Amino acid sequence: MDLTTILVSAASLGGIGAGAAGLLAIASRFFRVEEDTKVVAITEALPGANCGGCGFAGCAGYAAAVAAGKAEPNACTPGGAETARKIGEILGVAVSTKERAVARLHCQGGIGIAAKRIEYLGYESCKSLTLLVPGGSKICPQGCEGLGDCVAACAFGAIKIGEKRLPVIDEEKCTGCGKCVAACPKRVLHMEAQSQKLVMGCSTKLAAKLVRKACTTGCLQCKACIRACPYDALIWDGLPKRIDEKCKACGLCVEACKPQSLLLLREPDPAVKEEAKRLIAERKAAAKPAAPAAEAKPEEPEAQPAAASGEKS
Amino acid sequence: MELSVAGYFQLIFWAVFVNNFILAQFLGICPFLGVSKKIESSMGMGIAVVFVITVSSVITWLLYHLLLAPLGLSFLKTIVFILVIAALVQFVEMVIKKLSPGLFQALGIYLPLITTNCAVLGAALLAIQKDFNFLQSLLYGFAASVGFALVLVVFAGIRQRMDTTTETPAFLRGMPVTLVAAGILSLAFLGFAGMVKM
Amino acid sequence: MAELTAVQDLNKGLVRENPLFVLVLGTCPALALTTTVVNALGMGLAVTFVLAMSNVAISLLRKVIPSEVRIPAYIVVIASFVTMVDMLMEAYFLSLYQALGVFIPLIVVNCIILGRAEAFAAKNGLWRSLLDGLGMGLGYMLALGSMALIREVLGNGTLLSGTPLEMVVFGEGFKANPVLVMVLPPGAFLTFGLLMVGANRLRRS
Repeated sequence: MDLTTILVSAASLGGIGAGAAGLLAIASRFFRVEEDTKVVAITEALPGANCGGCGFAGCAGYAAAVAAGKAEPNACTPGGAETARKIGEILGVAVSTKERAVARLHCQGGIGIAAKRIEYLGYESCKSLTLLVPGGSKICPQGCEGLGDCVAACAFGAIKIGEKRLPVIDEEKCTGCGKCVAACPKRVLHMEAQSQKLVMGCSTKLAAKLVRKACTTGCLQCKACIRACPYDALIWDGLPKRIDEKCKACGLCVEACKPQSLLLLREPDPAVKEEAKRLIAERKAAAKPAAPAAEAKPEEPEAQPAAASGEKS
Repeated sequence: MELSVAGYFQLIFWAVFVNNFILAQFLGICPFLGVSKKIESSMGMGIAVVFVITVSSVITWLLYHLLLAPLGLSFLKTIVFILVIAALVQFVEMVIKKLSPGLFQALGIYLPLITTNCAVLGAALLAIQKDFNFLQSLLYGFAASVGFALVLVVFAGIRQRMDTTTETPAFLRGMPVTLVAAGILSLAFLGFAGMVKM
Repeated sequence: MAELTAVQDLNKGLVRENPLFVLVLGTCPALALTTTVVNALGMGLAVTFVLAMSNVAISLLRKVIPSEVRIPAYIVVIASFVTMVDMLMEAYFLSLYQALGVFIPLIVVNCIILGRAEAFAAKNGLWRSLLDGLGMGLGYMLALGSMALIREVLGNGTLLSGTPLEMVVFGEGFKANPVLVMVLPPGAFLTFGLLMVGANRLRRS
């Protein structure tokens, strides 16, 4: 047993250990990150899904921005009203809540409804398909591909592909973060206020005469919906566009739409529907007085020649 | 080891491809199978590993040649190296957290995983075993870790496209088919065998 | 976790919680050192020794080590035993030492050992920790041995090569022209993958 070796190895190992420990101790003081207690509290109040819906990189990023006064306290849509309230408490301010938004699909062209152009057997991703096949796999170039990029993007499990190969969104689980909208390469998903019940179920830009062959629910651009609306809540923008403040979800446009491109997400309130029908009837009646006056005018010129001829003879 | 300038380039090629850490030497298999499910996490892990291995191979080389070998304590290298690596990783984590919170968000979780990664200790020990000088040790550490990161990202790309849940037969689902895929990738890298001899 | 009997602590590591096929730990030596059965069993024995001894040591010291520094402390204990094994093998089993190469010191970072230390030895008494270590180590050796059996027989045509007990399994003709890929890296991954299939089956049954 070589005592020197034992002592030297013990000393050097001990020395290296102590040195490393000392270095770490100094570093922990020197490199201490001052954790703002507010930031920590806000981070804890957030849902922690790191979905990025607030526009910041993760919950920690948003918490730091709110604490620094660079972000609104109610920007966390998954957290919703409860989180906004908690953040408000931490900051000591009153917080108003934003209108709850959800993702909605503006396409009904699933299996059996929209006609397919090609059979795609490649990598199952809508993004891949649109890169490989410009114009998509359906005759309507704006149609939903149904391969589930939105499903993969959703951090909350709120979207699933339904039996018609279209995404089905659970509006209770949807937090309005917008990840699916960004992930969709066909741009058929849109964020809408959940309180709005009228949905445009078609996004086509095809010429009207081609739409019939492309999809049974495609918008034929007949504008019947616009004429049917008593509140002028629909305007024409290449496709009918809903004006949120005016729409009362009466359902008259849905009835007027032959291909059923427009959808109402719940049964219209009968009173609202009656009111709407009454308004439409009034509007039609207001347009009628022009007809009796028009009938009167042709009679006068006929009466005059009769009177003139009567006088002559 | 005496190396010409061309020899240094050969050393780098050898460390990245011919003697690849994962596919030829089997160092770092646990993170290879664990982290390579998504490309983003693989890139994060890869960058963290490159940094840690490069720095630790320098520090361990210095400690060995300036302290342990002159004192006749080369038998202590395992203990000293692993202690130094653990302390280094802890230190790096603190520095990154302070200097770049964004980088910490991206890489921070991988750093503790790297401490027990065989690749880090393996790189340090192999540099000593092959009797590299300081520059060779530094280049070897850097190149070997780049090779590690490269294979990690490539395999993540393969795995993201490989369906391990529905189209794969039930008995192969999960780990078995992943390992078979790794075997095929390893077969591809066998093509580099013998190109450079170190 | 339900209380296991002492015997169960020992044999859970063999099949039910086999460290290689079920917990998927310690994969690096399993792929690198299973080209011959002798190497595999040698590595398995080394790991068993280190695992058992460090489990015992950590179990004895568990009340003394402060929680904040427990991981570095465990690593130092494990590294000490590994250095011991390293020096013993270099002295008494030189050919095996050269065959196992850098993987002997790499036993330190073998996830099995640190994992069992953290999960079991830090919370249990001496006897149980010893049994757990032995069980896990033997299970690992079993797993390594089975991989090496397949790889050596198919890839080299021999069994127990490197010992006086060497057998030529399928005749000299096969030995001259074996399935070489089995002893190369791809064969390692393939063997591991296919043995995992068996392990999955066992686990599900």
